[in-house]
Amino acid sequence: MTIRLTIKNLANGTSLRMEAEPDETVNDLIVSAGEYWNLDAGAYVLKKGKKLLSGKTKVPDAGLLNDDVLEMIPDPEGGCRWGSHHKF
Amino acid sequence: MDTVSAGFEDKDRYDRQRRITWVDQDAIRSSNVLVAGAGALGNEVVKNLVLAGFKRITVVDMDDIVLSNLNRCMFFTDSDVKKGMKSEIVAERASLLAPDVEIVPIVGRIQDVDIEGFDIALGCLDNILARMDLNATTCYYGIPYIDGATDGMRGKVHVILPGRPCLQCVSNRTHVKTMETRHTCTGNSSFTPHLASDVTTTAIVAAMQVRETMKIISGHPELCITNVTYYDGTLCDMFTVEADIDPTCPNHGRES
Repeated sequence: MTIRLTIKNLANGTSLRMEAEPDETVNDLIVSAGEYWNLDAGAYVLKKGKKLLSGKTKVPDAGLLNDDVLEMIPDPEGGCRWGSHHKF
Repeated sequence: MDTVSAGFEDKDRYDRQRRITWVDQDAIRSSNVLVAGAGALGNEVVKNLVLAGFKRITVVDMDDIVLSNLNRCMFFTDSDVKKGMKSEIVAERASLLAPDVEIVPIVGRIQDVDIEGFDIALGCLDNILARMDLNATTCYYGIPYIDGATDGMRGKVHVILPGRPCLQCVSNRTHVKTMETRHTCTGNSSFTPHLASDVTTTAIVAAMQVRETMKIISGHPELCITNVTYYDGTLCDMFTVEADIDPTCPNHGRES
């Protein structure tokens, strides 16, 4: 069953609606959101409330429900954020 | 009845710090600390460690000093540019801040350092691969690891204690992709990006790293961040998020 989520980009305050299938993982959500926003390459994480979501976890196992709002955060790695010519 | 000298409280370098109830100054004095990286975070971290009373510090870095380091590295001067190695200069200059501090500089990669025997490690590194390596090694030896990172006005601190989620537990495909893009299959760096970096964010992240170190060394890990704190200097915002151990993470196989 498709789950409809809102993902908020904490780097710029914008949001997008995303539909996720049960066989998709948190990794898939992060990559899709990054591609939609055309984010600079680098590491990003996704959180729900005060919980960091594990990349490998499937959407249902992550406890995600319809209308959940997730927040995407650039994960500073001091040396791994590339220039703007390298995209997500 | 006790007898004290007038002004005795100002004759102890650490008197004011001892007034923080959970601080164990003797434990801080006797601990053996590893600092991986002597760049922006490493400068600030070593400064804070020395002022806080840590006496045995090893600092590792393979790089020399360039002019663009000087906006955020308190121990480097113009005369060091292209002449000094970061770890050696940090050790030399930080030693001036407190008597009887022993700072051992190692010019080399953190991956090549034997970390067994250290009480705690602080990551002040500039790439995911080195972080993951130190993360795995500290997990293997059960050494607490305080990882700091910055990117412009953003920063984070991750406190990794035995039995708690490590860097690999919270990594995802974007971390792997970044590692793959940055490094060749031989492990050599293929491209070194130039990051935005400022002294204010650096100072805040380094301060948090050393404060968490003081808690752990003082025997109060329960006061530590659980598990990652993110800082946004543009908004002056800070929040902490919890994470779970990834049951497939190889770094936790030895724990029970």
